[in-house]
Amino acid sequence: MPEVTASAKKFFPEPRILPGGEREFMMDVATSDLEVSMGPQHPATHGVMQVLLRADGEMVTAAQPHLGFLHRCAEKIGENVEWLQYLPYTDRYDYLAAMNNNLGYSMAVEALLQVEIPRRAQLIRMICVELNRIASHLVAFGTYGLDLGAFTPFLYAFREREWLLMIFEKICGARLTYSYLRIGGVFNDAPPGWLQEVEHFCDVFEEKWKEYYDLLMVNKIFVERTARVGVITKEQALDFGLTGPMLRGSGVDFDLRRDMPYLLYRQAFEDGAFEVPLGRGEKGELGDCWDRIYVRVKEMMEALGIVRWCLGCIEEGPVLGEVGKTLKVPPGEAYVAIENPRGELGHYVLSDGGKGSSRCRVRGPSFCNLAIIEDIMPGTLLADAVAIIGSTDVVIGETDR
Amino acid sequence: MDFQGIHDHLKAADVPGLLKADAPRPPNPEDKKDKGRAGDPFVEVDPVQICEFMAACRDDERLRFEILADLSAADPSADSEELWVLYQLLSITHRHRLMVKARIPKEDANINTIAGIHRGAQWHERECAEMFGITFNGHPDPRNMLLPDDWPGYPLRKDYEFPEEYHGISCV
Amino acid sequence: MPILQNAFEENLLTTKVDWLLNWAKLNSVWPMTFGLACCAIEMMAVGAAHHDLDRFGAGAFRATPRQADLMIVAGTVNFKMAERIKRLYDQMPSPKYVIAMGACATGGGPYYKYGYTVVKGVDRVVPVDVYIAGCPPRPEALLEGLMALQRKIRTTAVVRKPAITA
Repeated sequence: MPEVTASAKKFFPEPRILPGGEREFMMDVATSDLEVSMGPQHPATHGVMQVLLRADGEMVTAAQPHLGFLHRCAEKIGENVEWLQYLPYTDRYDYLAAMNNNLGYSMAVEALLQVEIPRRAQLIRMICVELNRIASHLVAFGTYGLDLGAFTPFLYAFREREWLLMIFEKICGARLTYSYLRIGGVFNDAPPGWLQEVEHFCDVFEEKWKEYYDLLMVNKIFVERTARVGVITKEQALDFGLTGPMLRGSGVDFDLRRDMPYLLYRQAFEDGAFEVPLGRGEKGELGDCWDRIYVRVKEMMEALGIVRWCLGCIEEGPVLGEVGKTLKVPPGEAYVAIENPRGELGHYVLSDGGKGSSRCRVRGPSFCNLAIIEDIMPGTLLADAVAIIGSTDVVIGETDR
Repeated sequence: MDFQGIHDHLKAADVPGLLKADAPRPPNPEDKKDKGRAGDPFVEVDPVQICEFMAACRDDERLRFEILADLSAADPSADSEELWVLYQLLSITHRHRLMVKARIPKEDANINTIAGIHRGAQWHERECAEMFGITFNGHPDPRNMLLPDDWPGYPLRKDYEFPEEYHGISCV
Repeated sequence: MPILQNAFEENLLTTKVDWLLNWAKLNSVWPMTFGLACCAIEMMAVGAAHHDLDRFGAGAFRATPRQADLMIVAGTVNFKMAERIKRLYDQMPSPKYVIAMGACATGGGPYYKYGYTVVKGVDRVVPVDVYIAGCPPRPEALLEGLMALQRKIRTTAVVRKPAITA
């Protein structure tokens, strides 16, 4: 009699009794679970992450992520370099949304310094951060299609992303790791014509967004592969400390930009510049992979709304506050969190009055978001494992720091 | 609620483990050594009763801290005798935050795990354990998270010595 | 082709055969998908439509090392990953090439001083043919590095005997 392994018993129904009276599957075959290592070199793990899977045939019965393949000691470096010298390291943990990382660190140090940021700097910060959000979601959208086998959305997404990277290059000279949002404001003012180019980008991107939606989001194969897969309930999400699109995809209405605002987001929300998209279980269950990628795609449109609002009320003025050449940060500690494209990016900075920080802890949203795959992968098929990992939108630089 | 309101409610509800609150203050003009403290306020908690404190924070109606945003540790200085364990709590229903600090001795650094209250704490505690050498009593899976399994020392302590070589590859 | 390697004296025929073999090899260097960190995003941008890598023949990224010719180490290498890199390099069949892309793979990068788990350059683990500077290098820099590798392949002697024999 073939034995169904104990770990898979809850997923397989009992064998049927056929009309002739015999039991289905009369072969005397002994099977055992297969352990597969997905990663660290894998085209679909979004970086160097290893997920050890135990699979009974095609059904995953256990998943164990292993991290640390990109651990770059960012927190130890934070203790040994000066305040401003740490800024390039902040770019490199979430390398897809480097402006957001700069913003988080700068705001944490500004909370200790109590310096006033000029209004023009705040608006340019908001524009850069939201454009970076669009760029990051374009990569998430493109690579998610690539993981599931759709090559065209990747090329389309990178076409718009190249334009965005050229816009960033005009303002700060770098395509990917900017170090532009400094402590006290931004590094330099926008060159002439930059704001007009951003406005032109917004107009063109609105039509392209409809292309992306029609190309991938409502594609029958994509929907079949992502709807009802990897469902995260609201209680699970709160228990694991998920934030960002992972949380909003499960229907929890919380966004740091609207609910605990920083920069000028409160004013932008009151003027109706943006809304917070939520997953609604349209294509399947609430909290499945489709909901999470839908939240990301909708957030691209909302980010455009914020950029337009900022362009509407931008005015002339200085772009860097009064911080002086050498920063004198008073002793103290502060925790400041902002809304990264992946969730809540928090910086805890401890200062003892010295040249650099004494402890610079980074709360990376991908680290917290990844913990849930241990819980939701068992019971899915191997092909769904790829869909679930892609929907978490992890960036391993942030997970490992 | 702002920090003062949260602290008052914690005292009024007699939440176990609460020691004191520390709020930012400007430098004292009379005392040159007192440079004041900048930044955010926090609540200090007795490490022995950390689980009860966290459970009360999560379940109390006016507090409702559903999300553990961060669990980390800090080594204040090389000659300090204690390590700090820091918890950042976030409430979605009431939209407020709280920073909680627990001080534990550096020589025998252990504290109870709160993985039973917030599942997300498991991975944070594994990382703190390998970086600072803190033992989390009752943790279901105490393996190394980011460092290789046989990495010597506790890197984020202030007295850490950088290694010379590892598995035949030079570190300098 | 070990049976043909270094087998013949240098004459007109063998130089032409060498030229043909090298032309075939350099126009079809297939990389392995090995992005580690931020440089991987620039590598993806090179593979995308704007800076097209496929026009150099190198657009077919193979996921498995057993079918790849080139390993572009794009990103920081740390000790945990170094053992896997060595294993992947050993799994690639000859002739194989390695490009160290970016400052981290070249010499440790910005993590040189206080990065305790960072290997200071991937050439401490595998032999490297081309180094590309930048943090991250522009896509055009990666294309330049690929063209440098193509120059190196173009001048390799395959069937001709080496000039100095020990």
